[in-house]
Formats: sequence, C-alpha cells, structure tokens
Amino acid sequence: MLGNDPLIRTVGRVEVAAASPSRRGSADRGHTGFVTFLGRREVLPSVLIAPVVIFFIIWNTIPTLWLIGLSFYRFSLTSGRAPIFSGFYNYVSIINDGATWLDLSRTFIFVVLAVGIETVAGFFLGLLFWGSDRLPGRRVALTLLFAPMVVTPVAAGTFWRLIYDPTFGVLDWFITLLGFPAVRFLSDANLAFWAVLAVDIWMWTPFMVLMAMAGLGSVPRAELEAAEIDRLTLWQRFRLVILYHGKFILMLGILLRTIDAFKTMDLIFDMTYGGPGTATKLVAMTLFRSAFESFNMGSSSALAVILLLISIAFTATFLYVLYIRERRAAEA
Amino acid sequence: MSKETDAPAGAFAAISKSKLNRIGRRQLIQGSAALGASVALPRYAFSQSEKKSPLAGKSIHMQILGIAGWLPSKLGVDMSPDFAKYAKDKYGYDVSFSFADAPFGTLFQKAATSLATRSQEYNIIISDSQWLGALATPGWIVQLNDIIAKNPELNIEWWSPSIRSSYQVFPDGTDKLWGFPQVGDIIGIFVRKDILEGPGEAEAFKAKHGRDLPKTWEDFEKMDFDQWVELISFFDRPEKGYRGFAAQYSREYDAATCPTMSFMRSTGGDVWDPKTGQVEGVLDTPSNAKAMELYKSWLKYQPPGATNYFIAEVIDAFTQGKVFAAWQWVATGKTMIPPSLEGKVIVVPPPGFKKSDGTLYRNYIIGGQPWVINAFNDPEHMQVAVDFMKWWYLPETSKDYLKRGGMPCDKATCAAADFDGINPWNRTYKYMLLRSSDFWHDPKYSEMLSDMQEAITGYYTGQIKDPLHALNWVACQQQKILYDEGTAQKAAQAQCSGMTL
Repeated sequence: MLGNDPLIRTVGRVEVAAASPSRRGSADRGHTGFVTFLGRREVLPSVLIAPVVIFFIIWNTIPTLWLIGLSFYRFSLTSGRAPIFSGFYNYVSIINDGATWLDLSRTFIFVVLAVGIETVAGFFLGLLFWGSDRLPGRRVALTLLFAPMVVTPVAAGTFWRLIYDPTFGVLDWFITLLGFPAVRFLSDANLAFWAVLAVDIWMWTPFMVLMAMAGLGSVPRAELEAAEIDRLTLWQRFRLVILYHGKFILMLGILLRTIDAFKTMDLIFDMTYGGPGTATKLVAMTLFRSAFESFNMGSSSALAVILLLISIAFTATFLYVLYIRERRAAEA
Repeated sequence: MSKETDAPAGAFAAISKSKLNRIGRRQLIQGSAALGASVALPRYAFSQSEKKSPLAGKSIHMQILGIAGWLPSKLGVDMSPDFAKYAKDKYGYDVSFSFADAPFGTLFQKAATSLATRSQEYNIIISDSQWLGALATPGWIVQLNDIIAKNPELNIEWWSPSIRSSYQVFPDGTDKLWGFPQVGDIIGIFVRKDILEGPGEAEAFKAKHGRDLPKTWEDFEKMDFDQWVELISFFDRPEKGYRGFAAQYSREYDAATCPTMSFMRSTGGDVWDPKTGQVEGVLDTPSNAKAMELYKSWLKYQPPGATNYFIAEVIDAFTQGKVFAAWQWVATGKTMIPPSLEGKVIVVPPPGFKKSDGTLYRNYIIGGQPWVINAFNDPEHMQVAVDFMKWWYLPETSKDYLKRGGMPCDKATCAAADFDGINPWNRTYKYMLLRSSDFWHDPKYSEMLSDMQEAITGYYTGQIKDPLHALNWVACQQQKILYDEGTAQKAAQAQCSGMTL
C-alpha cells in the first residue's frame, strides 16, 4: 500500500533528481523496495505483531515450557543435588496427597462464594448507579466505591488484619462498645475463612460494579422504552432486556474474577498465612509455600501445571458460553 | 595526602629569613625533625597498611541482608561506620555499607533466590540459625574452618556450647563451621514489676495460694510451671483492662513452634532424632501431646486473639499495658522496655518443669542469628567480610554492641563483671543460654517447619481437637520429607498414606 502512495513516489523522484550519482538512485530504489515489501498485505501485519510475539515467547511460552519440563523432575533448590527425572512422580504425589484436595476444595468454595456474592452485589450496585445519572455526588460515590479495588492487596490485608484485631482493632472496639464480647475474626478457625472472604468481597465488588455498568451501558435505550410502552413488568424488563444485553460483558467479568479469585494468595499471606491451622489455606498459598519456602521446584511446578490446566478449563467453559450467542446469531 | 605534604612546606616558606636567623640551631633541628615526621609518618603508616591489606587504597561497597524491624540486625548496620573507620585506619581501604532486609518469614526466600543465581548481591547475610543446612548444602555460603585457621582471632571462646552448635555447625555433631554468631537470643519472661509490687498484692497472693509472691529474679528462677500458672491467673484481670500473660501462637514462621518445642523438650520429650532422621515415634508421643495441651491451656489467661500473636503482637500487648507478663525473645528487650517502662519491668527465666526428683528442668529453644558469608563474593568482598568479622568480635566492638542493646556471645564479654547490669535482660540471657538449644539444622527445615506450624496452630485454634492426631500427621509428613531427602533411614509408615489433618 505504501509503495503506491503518490506522495512517496513524488518524493522518490525528487531525491533521484537531486542525487545524481547512480549509487544514490539504487539506494533509493532499495528503500522504496523495502517499503513496498513491508506494505505487502501478508507482511505488514506480521511485522507489526512481531514484537508482541517475541515478547510473548520469551516471557510466557518459554517459561511455561520450562515449568512443564521441570514438573517431571525431582528438584529441590536447597538440596545441592542435580534435578532427577522422575516422570509423573510429582503429579502422582499431588493426586495422592489428601491435603492438596482439601486445599483445592477450600479454594473452590472460596471462588464460588466470592465471585457469586461479588457478581450479585456488583450488578445490583451497577443498576443503582446506572439509574442515577442526575444524582448529586454520583462521581464522588463512584470514586469511593472503586477505591478498594485499587488498593494493593498486601496493604488491604495489613489494615484489615489490624481492623480485625481483637485487642487493638477498631471493629472489636465497636462490638465491645455495644456490649458484645470481642470476636476473634482471624484467630477463630470457624470465622477466619469468612473474615478473609469478606475482605475479598470488599475489594473486588467494585470491579463487578464496573463490569455491570459497562454491560448496562450496552443496553439500547430504545428497547427499554419499548418495553416500558409494552408495559412489561420490572422483572421482565430486567430479564428480557437488561440482562439479555448486559450478560455477556458481565460473563467476561465473572471469568476474569474467577481466574483471579482462584489465584488468591497475597491477601491470605498477609492476613492469616493460611491459618488458623488450615482454615484459610487456599491452593495458591500451598503453591507459594512449596515453591518459595520449601524450594521444591519440581513438585511446585507440577502443582502449578495442574492449576494452569484448571484455569484453562475455566476459561474454555466461559468462552464456550460466550460464543453460544454468536453461534445462535449465525444460525439465525 | 597532598594537603598533608603541602601544608608544612607552605608554612616553612612563610618563615622569613630574618626570623630564621633568630632561631637557634637546636630549635631548627627540632623543627625540621617535627616537620619531617609530620610529612613522613602518615606516608609510613599508609605504606604499612598497604603491606597489610591488598585492598589498601580501594573503595568497596558491601551489602548486608538482615531481618526487618529486628534491632540486632539493625545494629550490625548502625555500627558499620565504625568498621569503615577501623578499616581505613588499619587496612587502608574505604568501605561503605547498605542494608537490605525482609521480615523473618520471608528473609530466607529473599536470600535463597539471590544466592541460587550465584549473585553476590548480599555479601554478608544474617541468617536464622536453622537455615545453616539449607544455605550450606547447595554451597551458597562459605565454610569458615579455613578462614578461622588463618585468622586465629576468629577462634573465639563462646559463653556456652549451644552457641557453637546453634550458630556455627552443620551437620550437627561435626566440626564444619558455617556461621559466626551475630546475636544470641533466648526466651525470657518480661514481668510488669510495678503491678507485681502493687499495694496489697503480696498479702492477697499469700492468702490465696499460701506462699509468698515471687519478687526477685531468684524467686522466678525457682518457679515451676504450676506456680507460674498460679501467678498469671492471679494477675489475669480483664476487668482492669489487662490479662495475665501473652505468648506466641501465630501461624507465621516459627511463632508457635518454638514455645511448643520448648514445652515438649522441657517435659522430657523431643522432636526428632538428628542422627537417624527418625521423627515417627519421637515427635508423636503422648508426652508431647500433653505438652501441647499445657501450652494451649495458658490461652485462657491471654487477650482475645492471642492465637494470632507473633513477636510484634506480643510487644504491642506488653508495651500498651494489656498484659501482666509476656513470653518473648530477649533480643526485643529495647522494644519491650521503652522509656515509659524503664524500671518497671523485670526479665526472668521462663519456668522449669519439676522432675520426679523435685529438681527443675529447662530445655528451651534458642533464638538468635549467625552471620554467614556469601560464597559468591569476589576476593575483595570476601576479604572485607572477613575483616568485618574480625572487627565485630573485638572486645570494644562487643561492648559497644552490648550497650546498644545487642547480645554478644563471646565468653570474655558475657563473663565481665558489669555484664548483668548493662541491660535488664542480660542475666536471664546468660542463664538461659546454658539451658537452650536449637532444632532441625536440616536443608528441609522450612518444609518441616511449615507442617509443624500448620498442625499445632490447628490444634491451638480449635480446628483440630486431638493434639496426638496433629502430631501423628506432622510426624508422617516430616518422616516422608526426610526419607525422600535421604536423611531418614526409615520411610513413613503405611498408615500415613492419605492421612489428613
């Protein structure tokens, strides 16, 4: 395309005329040829995406392949011994380890509850903000609402740990002020999981609000007005118009949150370190401890591969659901 | 140097001829001699230091990795300018220091990830004592035997045998030395003396328990566990806003493990056999389970949420007047006794266990950290690291360190007549060093600790009901770890397969 540009051709002629030696002319022809080559339909896109592909291969593909390879070795960084090829030993050990299954099941419960509550609360709040365009202070309220989402999880974990502290924390101060006994939010094995879950919901509901508002923004006003004229009930308007148009962006939000919640480690690390006992030990915490406390690089790689496969399964399922719409549209 | 040579020359030139004529011959000779000495001596001294150190005239930067928020680690850096001055005078080179740190729980991670890349980012590392095996086995730190042989001043007599076994030796029982003690540390009990000596307390205590309220260090030294519980229950007064006691039960790092093991060992149990690597049958015993029950029973005299207490939380509880007494590493002494509590706190040994013959027995876990030297240091940094160690153990450095709140381990300093009086915890420190020892100098320390912490905190927080079950699970896990590693001779028993907490 560029090679056919009249401006370039003009400039080329002027340069050729100005630079009399033939060598100059051949360099220009080379330059023009290169530009023409780059401008070819099959070359230019490849050239443009090449940096991204190279970056992806260096920082993603090679480490992933390395990780998969390492998962077939018994290798501890602190043992002073060379890695030993062990086939599927690490995978079999993980599958036979009851503790890993418990961690996984605890993680699934955490993901379902966190993402479920965040989605419902986020969508509800999104609806409220969607219908409050002229409300004074809306922007301030939205800014405050999104604040938890932009806080670093480690910082959030630290100040929630302090808020929850039964001796010095502000929450228990209020509780005891009301005449109730102090609650041991993070040191009671029955409460710690819920206390951490509450913080995750506090942090990430704003994200679902954002997604809900984006989804609701895609709902055509005309259809809403038509639904109103047709005297559809509120529930029917919500189900047939709002949810119909908004659900796909919302699904994307759920997908992103699911994958993210599945990896929750930083919040746990700072608030409970997986305790009391194993009450808040999610599988990402297990992976962190295996890799960076015990330095069992082989078995932690195997666990990472298993978690990667689970995340891929999540993604595939959600993408399948998302593409149903396109398929149906194509079939129609 | 140029200034030193130019200045006298200039001064000499300034003397007028007439004045020179008035100066006598003797004065002239004396002046010339002084002038010559002022020019030559610094050069001579410098040339001597050049002879002593191949680094003379060079400028070197060192980085120390230590524990964040930990006074003894900080002192190592705070005092480094003194070493810079010393090195300049003695060896003729310039040295500057920077400090990197991480909390206890993540320091090993920070060190290991750097050392695994063969980096000399951290030239000297303040390691926790149990990490010696994990740092030495891959060859990340320097074995010090040759360095000590070449530098006899580093062959130091320590206050107790546990110093060498805890901070220097790996594997246990060998002569292979890997670390120098940076700070010795033991578990002590900080008691609010002002509350203890409050009006009417002694009479009330005697009326309730039929014996005198302990007041002096000697009284506490004679105290057994039952008497200790009587004391903290007596001073447990939630209605007045403070509780009887604070100790460490947290899931973080080794918070719950150290006191639990202290209870186990002091009641006659053990945690493993370091010679055979056997854990099953050693750790999971009724005696150890009972020790866990005992430690858990003390929670009822502690503030709510005490199961989340680690070092910082205990400091907060104690310094803010929320507890009467606190179980704490004495290395935190300066923080545990801020100016507002000076003169109001007595630091005493933790209670002993009464044996069948009536004698008291204490076998507590030792704290403290050694210096270790990065094996990937280039020769220059290695030389500075060795020079730094030689300076660190000079008597005057040890004394300065002690006065700033640090705890030296050399016998000369600890045995000095004024040692006990310099800090309120010094006497207890010396006493308990003789009754404390380390655990698990094994490359798999971190993994073993993680399992131990998980199980025992599960019991302390009520997630696990049976302490023996918790210990059975730990023993299975640790036996498997050590067998896989090649340390244990026996594999974990078949019943371990599929066992969960």
